[in-house]
Amino acid sequence: MSSTVPDTNDNDLHREFLRAFTTHEPAVRAFVRRLVPSRNDADDILQEVSIVLWEKFGEFHDGGDFKAWACGIARFKVLSWLRDKGRHRLVLDTDVVELVAEVSLQTESRLERQRIALESCFGKISATERELLTRAYRRDVTMQDVATSSGRSIGGFYQWLHRMRKLLLQCIRRELAEEPLT
Amino acid sequence: MTNDFNFGLVQRYVDGTASAKDMLQLNSQLRDSPEMRQEFIELLNLDSALSIVCEPVNEEEVTAFEVKRPSLTQVDHSEADSPPADSSNRLLSRSLFRLAAVAACLTLLIGGTWWWHASQQVWATVQNRIGFGGLKEGIELRGELHEIDAGVVQLVTAYGAEIVIEAPAKFQFESADRLKLTRGRLSASVPPAATGFTVMTPSGEAVDLGTRFGVDVRGIGPAEIHVFEGEVIAKASGASASDNLYEGDAVRMDQGASASRELRSSAFIQSAEMSELTPHVTSDQRRRAEEYVTQLRRDPALIAMLDFESDQLPPGVFHIAQGRWPRSRAPEFIDVGDHMRLDAGGDREWPQLTLAAWVRLDQVGAPYQSLLHTDGWESTPGQVHWMVTRHTTMRLALAGNTLAPDAEELEGYPDSRTPVLPKQGRWVHLATVYDATARTVRFYLNGDFDKETRQAIAHPARLGAAQIGNWDRHDRKLSGRVDELFIFGRTLSDTEIQTLYEAGNPYR
Repeated sequence: MSSTVPDTNDNDLHREFLRAFTTHEPAVRAFVRRLVPSRNDADDILQEVSIVLWEKFGEFHDGGDFKAWACGIARFKVLSWLRDKGRHRLVLDTDVVELVAEVSLQTESRLERQRIALESCFGKISATERELLTRAYRRDVTMQDVATSSGRSIGGFYQWLHRMRKLLLQCIRRELAEEPLT
Repeated sequence: MTNDFNFGLVQRYVDGTASAKDMLQLNSQLRDSPEMRQEFIELLNLDSALSIVCEPVNEEEVTAFEVKRPSLTQVDHSEADSPPADSSNRLLSRSLFRLAAVAACLTLLIGGTWWWHASQQVWATVQNRIGFGGLKEGIELRGELHEIDAGVVQLVTAYGAEIVIEAPAKFQFESADRLKLTRGRLSASVPPAATGFTVMTPSGEAVDLGTRFGVDVRGIGPAEIHVFEGEVIAKASGASASDNLYEGDAVRMDQGASASRELRSSAFIQSAEMSELTPHVTSDQRRRAEEYVTQLRRDPALIAMLDFESDQLPPGVFHIAQGRWPRSRAPEFIDVGDHMRLDAGGDREWPQLTLAAWVRLDQVGAPYQSLLHTDGWESTPGQVHWMVTRHTTMRLALAGNTLAPDAEELEGYPDSRTPVLPKQGRWVHLATVYDATARTVRFYLNGDFDKETRQAIAHPARLGAAQIGNWDRHDRKLSGRVDELFIFGRTLSDTEIQTLYEAGNPYR
């Protein structure tokens, strides 16, 4: 349909793109997530971002920083999404989003370590808590359903969820506190 | 952490339950308070990471997937006949779906170059890993600090040097040819293109001149350099001169000086071993090993079983290193004099005895490596000495026993026929079965029966106070690691030894 789409038979390019994209998707997803109100919004935007990344992958220089490049493109997508949706939704003000994006990128290496540390902290909570969190973070459920099935009121469930997030964040910070600053 | 009231505000925003009033407040606080911004960013970062952790991607399938479906055009058709997507490849399928949708939805986006941060160079890429943590295959390493507390990670630098680092480790690339190692055990295989690759440690550095070498940094202690092949320059911090090391050389760098050491080649996991280790360790092999060990613990004839996993380790002088599995532990004996004390089975005689252990030993110059020596050799017949000889064969000697006239051994004690230590460092399973009634000693290497030696005089075995590692003489030390040591007061059959080996084998 368009000449900007790279040749789809270009196996090497495609493979290279897939490798880079799958490697950095968690970082780009987290970046987008910090700028929009919900995980679903982040999913939608990421889907559009991935298309643009593939289109423009031919222009991306080998050896460049894929993550920084992808976050740059994602940032534009987020800003245009906010312009479209912002009037009807409870979203952050654009200047605040810009601030958050800026700080996000400055602290990305710390944030990446935090995401990595989550894996071990996630392993430290009880199996029951892990199971319930996993359900709460599934895409095809409502919080009401998860709350009901766990025998809690919706308010009680949110309280539990907030406590878990706080505990995990504390655990992550504890894990990283042992690291000297570099 | 920011006070709970504000933190609750961010949580409501994350949940999508914030009110219009909440949003006003949140906007104003994020604008004004850097602390609040940081809290906000970290909580949303956690939220995103959680959504990924809760929906894991299977790395093996990523590779398989790429090989099977090389082009986009195939992706469209593959939807119908692909196997049912399980949760593990859902993420990837989604990525591909988005890619396939390129033709349908095209939004042009221009610019953004001002935004592009000064591109950071990639110094190395993760090729392979064993164990947990975030250093997954394909991750690119730049100048950030990495810390792994379990497992092993294999990297390839931008110039093609292959690096294997074993936990616990802390490291950071300064460039593609300079790596700072503040803790951990590293092996490097450096092709000509990467010559000059340098490992910096707190007590000195190793500069490669085209070679394979190892660097060991244990906590705050002095670092060691071991050269397996080729040439390396070793320079202790603060020293004016450097040393050229060649194949078989090793040094310990301490307070500005280098002291010569015995080569410990098996202390390091090298890249060839990585590929043998990975498949088994990522499967449920470890669980099977643990199940079998649990079963053996109930054996009525079990005298002692040491897996070194509990906090209550036997007394002695030794180090703790990683065992055969990520996050498992094994005692490591390094210096002359390192040992571990045991005391089991001293209350009676044992007409039948089986000894078995996983070991990872260096081929050292000392005549004997002492696996298990009981204390009273001179005083009581039947005292047990289990060791590896200078010929790297296994020996089981009992005080007062003699060989049968037809025995082929020349040194007076039952020895295995096959050398039990591989040239390259590897875990090997050693076992020996003694039967005083049948007057036989049987040897096993990696589950396989090696040979039987007959005895003329065969006393029942005596145990009690004993030592792993350096024994009371100068000629017996131990250099390496020991894992999962069993002592049974009965003979184990060929099949049982084979099963014991297979259950605990960390290799493919």
